[in-house]
Amino acid sequence: MNKVLVTGLGMITPLGPDRDSTFAAALAARSAIRPAPADICAGLPNLLTASIDTDPLTHLDRQHAGLDRATLLALVAADEAMAQAGLRDAIPDPARFGAYAGVGFAGAHTLDAMYSRYFSALHNADKTGRNATVMHPLSVPRMMANAPAAALSMRHGLRGTTNTYAVACASSAVALGEAARAIAHGYLDAVLVVGTESMLTAGCMVAWNALRVMARPDASDPAASCKPFSSERNGFVLGEGAGALVLESEAHAQRRNAPAALAELAGYGSSSDAHHLTAPSVDGQVAAMREALAQAGLAPEDIHYLNAHGTATDAGDVIEAQSIRAVFGDATSRLPVSSTKAVHGHLIGAGGAVEFSLAILAMRQGSIPPTANLHHPDPRCDLDHVALTARTGARLTAVMSNSFAFGGSNASLIAKQVAA
Amino acid sequence: MLSTLIRDYLIQNAKVDPALFERPDLQMADLALDSLGLVEMLFEIEDRCGFQIEDPMRFREMAFADMVAAIEADIRAHHGGQMPDLTGMGLTTGEA
Repeated sequence: MNKVLVTGLGMITPLGPDRDSTFAAALAARSAIRPAPADICAGLPNLLTASIDTDPLTHLDRQHAGLDRATLLALVAADEAMAQAGLRDAIPDPARFGAYAGVGFAGAHTLDAMYSRYFSALHNADKTGRNATVMHPLSVPRMMANAPAAALSMRHGLRGTTNTYAVACASSAVALGEAARAIAHGYLDAVLVVGTESMLTAGCMVAWNALRVMARPDASDPAASCKPFSSERNGFVLGEGAGALVLESEAHAQRRNAPAALAELAGYGSSSDAHHLTAPSVDGQVAAMREALAQAGLAPEDIHYLNAHGTATDAGDVIEAQSIRAVFGDATSRLPVSSTKAVHGHLIGAGGAVEFSLAILAMRQGSIPPTANLHHPDPRCDLDHVALTARTGARLTAVMSNSFAFGGSNASLIAKQVAA
Repeated sequence: MLSTLIRDYLIQNAKVDPALFERPDLQMADLALDSLGLVEMLFEIEDRCGFQIEDPMRFREMAFADMVAAIEADIRAHHGGQMPDLTGMGLTTGEA
């Protein structure tokens, strides 16, 4: 089995347009959650979102205009990760270099705009004389789920496998784990893995609203509305963003004189609940975390920080706390846990990649980002919460990130320090 | 008008060499557009005119000037013989 290293990280999130600004905001618990812009509220009151202010096209060539926003975000995050890995100019062996994407929906903006255009043209056809069926010829290849992976492969000249994983909120955690397996078992030498999502559209917001899982605005501070693990929690906030990681075998990194690795992707576990469409289950989550620990060859006490899935729904937080306790046992009281979703929102397909990246940066800096807004921890979530402010000066040798999805899919990833 | 609109689109979006358009006998084949590039170009017109231009592949064998004339004839046929001002029309102008 080949050792799998992380040699590049990139992000564009509601917290910031790049890796370092995102991590700095997470550490400072600077929330990006705001009242949703009027054009996506569809008449709904009290809607909150965590959106990206920067136009991703300002970081890209004009030729990418028209690609779905999820694809654009993926390209921006990937550029940063590939630059850090020293891979912007030349790919040593393109046929052995893959592009894996994790997406929940991918083409939401393109699909929403297409329906909106079609029905509005149809509705106004008598007045305008326009034929409603005139549609952009690239509508299909822009909205397809594998559009981000295809764009990554083309932009960076990657000729190995291009896979797309659609596992809802666990999508990019699964993409990372499967990419690591492909490298560990020698099918590929390197993979650019990107999680991306952008579904802050009117059509998507009314659908999410109907699920009754969205946080209501905090009366005194809307930015503080998402409260994971708190007895005051009342749901999550939908965000958008992308996270990119360059994974490669240790041998590949040595051959090409890669910059110093940021971490080892040491463990991956995945499982399914076979239980309920949306309700989480302790058994499935426990299985994923235990498998990740076993693959990494680590004991529970070896994990020094857990970036929890922590969506701030009652069922989600309580079940995850029970699962953590089942896996970590006595070590639970010495395991710092936080959910950064309180500040960047729920990034769905991008969540796994962004949160695993934050965990890696925490490990490298010895600074753990807190769970914002956690003034009153729910007694049913008896964990070592990193509440409100960052915990600094910590020595973290291994960290875990959990991603649990609608559909009952669970994924857990472990990163380990690489000896300098 | 129509000719300028198509030319500008091809130069800006399809990276066609502007010098080509100085040839009076410019052929569509000289533009080296693939079939998708051709329908993307036509969408730039369709989006403004509100109808789909039939049988796009016929244009591949034409001179550029003949294609422009054929498209103009289509547009007039859909607008009672008139040629509308296409600038500023369209539902997604600028997003293509």
